[in-house]
Amino acid sequence: MSDDKDSIFQKMWKREGFMAELRAINAIAIKQWKVEFSYPLSVLWFIVMPFLWFIPMLIAGQAVVGGSESAVLGELVGTTDWLSYIAIGTAFTGLAMSMFWGTGMSFRREQSVGTLETLMTTPMKRSTLVWGSMMHNLQHGGLGVILQLVAAVLFFGVTINAWGILPALAVVALSILALQGIVFALTCVVLLAKQGWMIIEFISSALMLVAPMAYPIAVLHPMLQYVSVASPLTWTVESFRGFLMYGFAAPGIVTAIVALLILDVVYIVVGILMFRYTERYVRRKGALSQF
Amino acid sequence: MTIADTISEETPRAGSLYLDSFKPRLMDWTAARVFAAKNLRIAMRYPANFIIWGVMPLLWLAPYMLMMTALGGPGTSTSFTEISGFDNFVKFAIIGWFVFQYVEASIWSVGNSFRHEQFSGTLEPLFVTPVPRISILIGAALSDTVQTSISAIVLLTTASFLFGVSYALTAIAPIIVLLLMMILALYGFGFMVAGMILVFKDPSVLTQFVGTALFTVSPVNYPLQALPIQARYVAYLVPSTIAIIIIRELAITGVFEIGQFLSAAAGLGTTILFFWLVGIASFRYAERWTKNRGSMGGF
Repeated sequence: MSDDKDSIFQKMWKREGFMAELRAINAIAIKQWKVEFSYPLSVLWFIVMPFLWFIPMLIAGQAVVGGSESAVLGELVGTTDWLSYIAIGTAFTGLAMSMFWGTGMSFRREQSVGTLETLMTTPMKRSTLVWGSMMHNLQHGGLGVILQLVAAVLFFGVTINAWGILPALAVVALSILALQGIVFALTCVVLLAKQGWMIIEFISSALMLVAPMAYPIAVLHPMLQYVSVASPLTWTVESFRGFLMYGFAAPGIVTAIVALLILDVVYIVVGILMFRYTERYVRRKGALSQF
Repeated sequence: MTIADTISEETPRAGSLYLDSFKPRLMDWTAARVFAAKNLRIAMRYPANFIIWGVMPLLWLAPYMLMMTALGGPGTSTSFTEISGFDNFVKFAIIGWFVFQYVEASIWSVGNSFRHEQFSGTLEPLFVTPVPRISILIGAALSDTVQTSISAIVLLTTASFLFGVSYALTAIAPIIVLLLMMILALYGFGFMVAGMILVFKDPSVLTQFVGTALFTVSPVNYPLQALPIQARYVAYLVPSTIAIIIIRELAITGVFEIGQFLSAAAGLGTTILFFWLVGIASFRYAERWTKNRGSMGGF
């Protein structure tokens, strides 16, 4: 019996490779679902929240336009269908928020429940904990995106190009790398500042502000337009909406995808390096479990 | 002899002038003042919060302004002018966000004040002090009003500067009167939310839902006429609706009409009465309910 136990531990310590990390990522995502299902109202809220946020935008848009077509938007982006433009653009909000908040605060959550140090001593890469949380939030936020799009189609008459659904999903997959880079940076803030929610709130709100979710970046101040161009959210939302509205005929889609690919590489490399350095620094200082 | 009797006999009687002469009262203003001072003293330890909470709503307000600009053109649209009577939606919305900060505070701060005490481990000691609960609630509300006013003024000043709008100060006195009446009505609303949080504990979902619902039906970014008819009736149940409409009118036009002011004050007076009665009754019920189940300190 004791030998069996030893061999399990030995096997555990010897585990390595991509598949082993993938299994750990999956286990963390499932664990997070189990925890969340203990608070079913909370799960439901975080799925329907983006849709509830969309309603005031819809009313404000209707008050300004007074109909289903906006000539001003037509001049700016080439479509007068403002409802589809906003409904599809803001559908991505829930996913982005879920990634920034849920994943960015994952270390803090484990710290609060007293499991961070235990998790850090398990034989998996440190970053796997962040990737696992990302996997969970991708699933959670993804449900919100689907719900908002379905509700927009059923209740508000938004039309979606069926040929664009798969490429739009591919865009979401492509955006994950760059978003994960941002999340690594947010995790560094949490590790260093401990109660970093205010910084996360500021960074995520600022990124949402410069993202073309409910308006094109042409209406932003020129300085903010530069920031917007450097944000992966901008190209993700543009290509996601482009595919769902026009299918493969979406204007400027190649530029958006190339820009997203370049930003993917930049953000994920910088994010991983920042995380690696910060995590080592915090451990060296012995401040991992400090509140 | 029971254990309680033994302890009672063995323990020397801890008396004080206050306890000896104590008689239950409806309201203890000293306790309210002390509680408010305690909260403000804690808030002063984090001075950056005043600025952050003044600037942060700008990041939530700006997307609305930018969206409305992208859909209707810069600053104005025929449709908006027709339904609201105002020709500048940026000016329209900023003052709405300023007033709505008090509604947010009544939910997040006053409503959650006992939750904060619970996390600090001071809720149960607070509940055994010989002061009426209402004093504690009013103390929490007073300190939050001071904090919210600072943040709301920072928001109004920064947003007006950034978006290049200005407001008339000619009717500042009636604006302050109406604002104070609305804040009083919101106290009652906050008491109600505080009771709900005592019962439901985890306030995140509840407060977010209440906050989002109130924001949707309130005429912050758009006039009431933009809402479906049923939602307009619901909007009038929100203590801030009348205040937002009239304060906006006074701040934008600068024209004071006594009839309009008196009818708004009467409406707000009714709202104060209604929300205080409902708020105190709900809180008392929630407190009894929680005590009976022994879940006061539970998380």
